[in-house]
Amino acid sequence: MRLNVDGLLVYFPYDYIYPEQFSYMLELKKGLDAKGHLVLEMPSGTGKTISLLSLIVSYMLERPLEITKLVYCSRTVPEIEKVLEELAKLNRFIEKQTGQKTKLVGLAVSSRKNLCIHPEVSQEREGKVVDSRCYGLTAGYVRARAARADTAAGDGDGADPVPTCQFFEQLEESGRDATLQAGIYSLDDLKHYGRERGWCPYFVARRAIQQANIIVYSYHYLLDPKIAEVVSKEIVQSSVVVFDEAHNIDNVCIDSMSVHINKRMLERCSNNISAMEKRIANLKETDAARLQDEYQRMVDGLRDAQMKRENNQLLANPVLPDQILQEAVPGNIRTAEHFLNFMKRLVEYLKMRLRVQHVVQESPAGFLKDIFNKICVDRKPLRFCAERLTSMIRTLELTDMADLSPLVLVSHFATLVSTYTKGFTIIVEPSDDKTPNVYNPILYFRCLDSSLAIKPVFERYQSVVITSGTLSPLDMYPKILDFHPVIITSFTMTLARPCILPMIVTKGNDQVTISSKFESREDPAVIRNYGNLLVDMVTAVPDGVVCFFTSYMYMESVVSSWYDQGIITQLQKHKLLFIETQDAAETSLALLNYIQACENGRGAVLLSVARGKVSEGVDFDHHLGRCVLMFGIPYMYTQSRILKARLEYLRDTFQIRENDFLTFDAVRHASQCVGRAMRGKTDYGIMVFADKRFQRSDKRTKLPLWIQEHLKDSMCNLSTEEAVQISKRWLRRMAQPFSRQDQLGISLLTLQQLQSEEMQNKMRERVTHRI
Amino acid sequence: MAEDEEEGYRWESGYEKTWEAIQEDEAGLLDSSVADLVARAKRARLHRARPHVRLGIMRHLYLVLDASEAMFVQDLKPTRLICCLKILEGYVQEFFDQNPISQLGIIVTKNKRAEVVCELGGNPIKVIEHLRKLSSAPCVGEPSLMNALELAASSLRTMPSHASREVLVLMASLTTCDPGNINATIQSLCKEKIRCSVIGLAAELRITRHLAQETGGEYAVCLDDSHLRDLTMAHVQPPPAVAHMEAALIRIGFPSHNTSADSPGKLSYCMCHLNGPAPPEGPDRGGYLCPQCYSKHCELPVDCATCGLTLMSAPHLARSYHHLFPLEPFEEVERPPGGPPQHCAACRARIDTQKLVSVGGAAVCGGGGFGRNVMLLRSDEVFSTVPCAEPSQSLFLFQSCCLVLEKVFFECMLKYK
Repeated sequence: MRLNVDGLLVYFPYDYIYPEQFSYMLELKKGLDAKGHLVLEMPSGTGKTISLLSLIVSYMLERPLEITKLVYCSRTVPEIEKVLEELAKLNRFIEKQTGQKTKLVGLAVSSRKNLCIHPEVSQEREGKVVDSRCYGLTAGYVRARAARADTAAGDGDGADPVPTCQFFEQLEESGRDATLQAGIYSLDDLKHYGRERGWCPYFVARRAIQQANIIVYSYHYLLDPKIAEVVSKEIVQSSVVVFDEAHNIDNVCIDSMSVHINKRMLERCSNNISAMEKRIANLKETDAARLQDEYQRMVDGLRDAQMKRENNQLLANPVLPDQILQEAVPGNIRTAEHFLNFMKRLVEYLKMRLRVQHVVQESPAGFLKDIFNKICVDRKPLRFCAERLTSMIRTLELTDMADLSPLVLVSHFATLVSTYTKGFTIIVEPSDDKTPNVYNPILYFRCLDSSLAIKPVFERYQSVVITSGTLSPLDMYPKILDFHPVIITSFTMTLARPCILPMIVTKGNDQVTISSKFESREDPAVIRNYGNLLVDMVTAVPDGVVCFFTSYMYMESVVSSWYDQGIITQLQKHKLLFIETQDAAETSLALLNYIQACENGRGAVLLSVARGKVSEGVDFDHHLGRCVLMFGIPYMYTQSRILKARLEYLRDTFQIRENDFLTFDAVRHASQCVGRAMRGKTDYGIMVFADKRFQRSDKRTKLPLWIQEHLKDSMCNLSTEEAVQISKRWLRRMAQPFSRQDQLGISLLTLQQLQSEEMQNKMRERVTHRI
Repeated sequence: MAEDEEEGYRWESGYEKTWEAIQEDEAGLLDSSVADLVARAKRARLHRARPHVRLGIMRHLYLVLDASEAMFVQDLKPTRLICCLKILEGYVQEFFDQNPISQLGIIVTKNKRAEVVCELGGNPIKVIEHLRKLSSAPCVGEPSLMNALELAASSLRTMPSHASREVLVLMASLTTCDPGNINATIQSLCKEKIRCSVIGLAAELRITRHLAQETGGEYAVCLDDSHLRDLTMAHVQPPPAVAHMEAALIRIGFPSHNTSADSPGKLSYCMCHLNGPAPPEGPDRGGYLCPQCYSKHCELPVDCATCGLTLMSAPHLARSYHHLFPLEPFEEVERPPGGPPQHCAACRARIDTQKLVSVGGAAVCGGGGFGRNVMLLRSDEVFSTVPCAEPSQSLFLFQSCCLVLEKVFFECMLKYK
C-alpha cells in the first residue's frame, strides 16, 4: 500500500495497516522534519519495526540529502534478524512498486562470533575467544610475519609458515575497494556472500558501514565507547539513529562505562604482567629496535601513529571521544619496563584496597588523591594507561587477548577513574550482596550518570528515536538521559475486542491485604494468599501461566512455604510447575519443557523473576502465556550501595526524587513482565498485578497507556475470588471465533478506510502528547 | 428450560454492570462488541452458502463427554455435568430425528481413563437411557483426551468408508492427562479421516483447538447454557462429506406399519423389548414388520435385531434428504415504485412495506425490514430478529408464508407431523 503521510509518499509493504501505525509514522515524520530527537511508546505486536523502516526508508528515498543513513539498534541477534526480514520485504515491495532496482544497501553488523566463516575459528563458542583468535590471524604484524615466512620459505629456509586467515587475505587482495551491491544483507546473507567470494564477512560488513544506507546492529556498537570508537566512528552526522526496545537503555549506558574488579582478577593481572616482562626481556635480546621504535612513537604522540593501522584496533579507549587527550604519552610510562612497573604498582595498590573488612565508598577524586599519596602515581599517566597498554600489546605481538583481559580491564579502570571526576563512584565491598557471609571483596567502579555514554550520540546525530512497548512514564527518559526531545508520544492499541485484562488484586479471599512490601513479605498469611491466588487462577486459565516474583530470594522463600502449605500439590493437579533459576542452561531447559506442556494440553506454570532472563527476552504469545501474575512490585534492592549512590546523584544532578526513580524503575519492569503475554492483536492475555500498592495512583498512572486504558476503576481493588470470576467470563468471551473480518475497519484498515475523514479524526484524538 | 431459570440468581452470576453493556463505544471495547461477534458468527453460519457440497448423511458419531472434577463446577446450572446431559438428551433426539440412518455412541473420560458407555447404535432410546444414568455417576480426577480419542478411533476405524466418522468432544477441564504424545494421536485421526469437533465449557484450550483444526472439525467455547445448546445443536446438521468417501448402495427395508386396529395380526412382543422388562401395556398387535424376516419392531429407524437390515420409513429418508437441498436464503428486494400493489405469495395478504422478501422469485411478506438472507426455519433466533410489534403475528405470517413454497412446506410437514 502506498500511503500519504503528511505529504510524504510512504511505501508500506502490507495490504492492511493498524491505525496506530499510521499515527506513529505521522509523529515520526514530524520529528524527522524538525531534525530533533523523539521518544515514542507503542505496545509490542503493533508493528513498530515496519512502521519505522517504512517511513524512514521512504523519507530517505524522497529526500536523500536530508537523511543519508539509518542506524537501527536492537537488543539481540534474533531481533536484528527480524528487522532485516522486514527490511527485505520492504525493499522488495518498493522495487515492485517503482519497477526498478533500489540503490539501498542494508546490512546487519554483528560480532565476529556471528559472522566468522573460518573453518576452525567459527567453531569456538565464546565471543571473546573468537575475537582473539581472529586477531591472532589477521593483525598487521602477524600478516607481516607471515609474509616474511613466505619469502623465507621461497628462499629455501625451512621456516614454519605462519597461519593467517585465507578469507581475510583474499579480501585484502581483491576486495579492498569493492563495494557491496545494492540489496539487503542479513547475517546469513553476509556469510553466504563471503563464502561465495572467499571474503571475510565480518570485515566486509565493517567496511560496508561507510557505504550502507541502513545498518542494523546492537546497542553496544553505538553506546559502548570501547566498541563505538572502532565501529561507528565514521557514520555521518545526517543519520537517523533508532533505539528499539529501549526501555533499558539507561542501564546499557551505565554498564558500558562501569568496571568491577575482584581479587581473582588482580591475581591474574600479576601473572599477565610477569608474562609480559619475560616477553620484553626476550625481545630486548632479539629485536631491541622494535622497542626503540615504539618509544619514538610515544614521543610523537600515539594517536597519529594509530590512525594508519585500522584492523589492528582491537582495543579502543574506554572513554568518550571528546575526553581523549591529543598529546604525547607522559615520560614515566614510555619505555616498556617502566610501564610494566607502573602497572605492577597499580595492581598492588588495588590489591591493598581490596583488603577491607567494611564497605568503603569514595569519589574518583578521593581515589586519585589516595593513590598519589600511597604510591605516588599521578593522574596523567593513569589517563594514558589504556592507550599505552594497547600500544605495548601491539609491539610485543601478543595475540591471545582473552588471556589478557584482566589487565586490560584494570587499564580501563585506571583511564576512566582519572578522566571522570563527576558521575562516578567507587565502592569497595567485602562481600557479594547475594552471599553476605563469604569474604569476597569487590571493587565497583560505577557510572551513575546514564547520560554520559549516550551524550555523544545525541549531540552527533540529527535525529535519535527511542522507542519501546513500555517506556512509561515517558518524561523520565529525557531527564535521566539528559536530552531534549521534540516529540514525546504514547500510542495505544486500537482493538476490535478487549484482548487484555489488567487487574489489580489487593486482597485474598480472607480479606488479608497482599503486598510484597518489606514488613509483610514473610507473613505466612500473605504468602498463603499469593498461593491461593495462583491456584485459583490456574484452575480458571487454560494452557500457560507465568508468574513473576520480585527477586530470586523471595521466590525461593515463597516456594518453600507453599510446599509446606500444600499449595504446590494443588498446583500440580492442574498444571506442571517450572521454575526459572539463575543458571541459564537450566532455565532454557525448563522453558523448553514449559512450552511442550503448553502445546500438548497439560498446561504449565512458570515461576520466574522480574529483571531475570525470562522477563527480558522471552515472549509468551498466545497459548504460552494466557495469564501473567506479578507478585509484588519489583523494586530494586534498596539497600544496595550502588543504587543509593545513583539515587543520590540523580537527586543532586537532575532533581529526580529517590522515590520517583525507584517507582519508575519498578513499574517499568512490572509492565515489561506483564507485557510478555501480549504479542499481537489476535493474542489475548490476563495481567494480574497482585499487590495493594499498585492501586495507588502514583504506580497506576506510571503504567503504559495501553494497559492503563483497559484498567478500569472497577478492576483496581479486587479480591482473589472476584478476579477469578472476572477472568473466567472474560476467557469465555475471548475464545469466541475472531477473524480478520471482525478487525477490519476498527483495528485494521485498508487504504480507503485509512483515508476516510472519520478515521483520520479518530486517530488524531487517540494520540496523547506529553510535551 | 424456562427463561428465568437460565439466568441463575443475580448473586451467583458475578459482578455485572448492565449499564455498561448498553453503552455505545466507538473503539468497540465493551461487552457489546463480543456479543456482536457471536451474533455475526451465528448469522454467517446460517447463511453459509453451500449449494454443491456433498453431505455425509450416514453418520457415525462418538460423543466424548468429559466427566472430570471440572464438571462439578457450577457456572452452568445446576452443574456443568447435569446441564450438559440435559442438552445432550435433546441433541440425541434431534440427531436421530434429522439423521435417521446414522449411529451414535458415548465415551466418558475421567480419572485419566476413558471408557465406552454406549456403543455405536441407532436407537435413541438406548442412548438417552445411558445418558440419564451418567448424571448420578461421580466426576473425579483429570480427563484424558488422548485415551478417549484412541478409543473412539479404534471403533470408528472399522466403519465402512461411505459413512462419515465423527467425534464430538465436550470438554470442561483445562488440562488433559495423557500417557503419550497426543500429537501422534491427532495425526492418526487425520489419516483415518475422523472429524473431531470440540465444544469447550470453560476457555480456549490450545490442544483442543489444534485437534479440531487438524481434523477439519469445528471448535467453539460456550458463553452460557443457551449458547452451549446452540453450539451443540449446530452439530445436528451433517457435515460436508470428505472427498475420499466412496458412494455405495446400501440395503434398506421399508416395513409396513400394522396398527392394532386395522390388522388382524397376533398379539406379540416386539424385538426391541424382548430382552428387557416387558412394556407395561403388554403385548401388542401393532408394530413394524421387517420385510425380510418379519420380526416386529415398535419404533423406527432401527437395525433389525434378527437379520441386521436397516429399517426405516420413507419420510425418514426424505428428512435426511432436505440437508442436501437446503432452503434458499431469503432475499430482500426493493418494491418497484409506483407499481401495482403486491400480494404475498403465501398468505395473499397485501404487502404495504417498502421492502419485500422474496424466495425464488416469489414475493412473500416478511413483517418489517428485516435483513437480507433470513433463514427462518426452525431457528428460533430468526423470529426474534423480526422487528415486529407483535411477534406472535409475524410468526403466524411466517408459517403461512412457508406453506406455499414446496420445500418449505416439506419442512413444516416434518415439524408438525
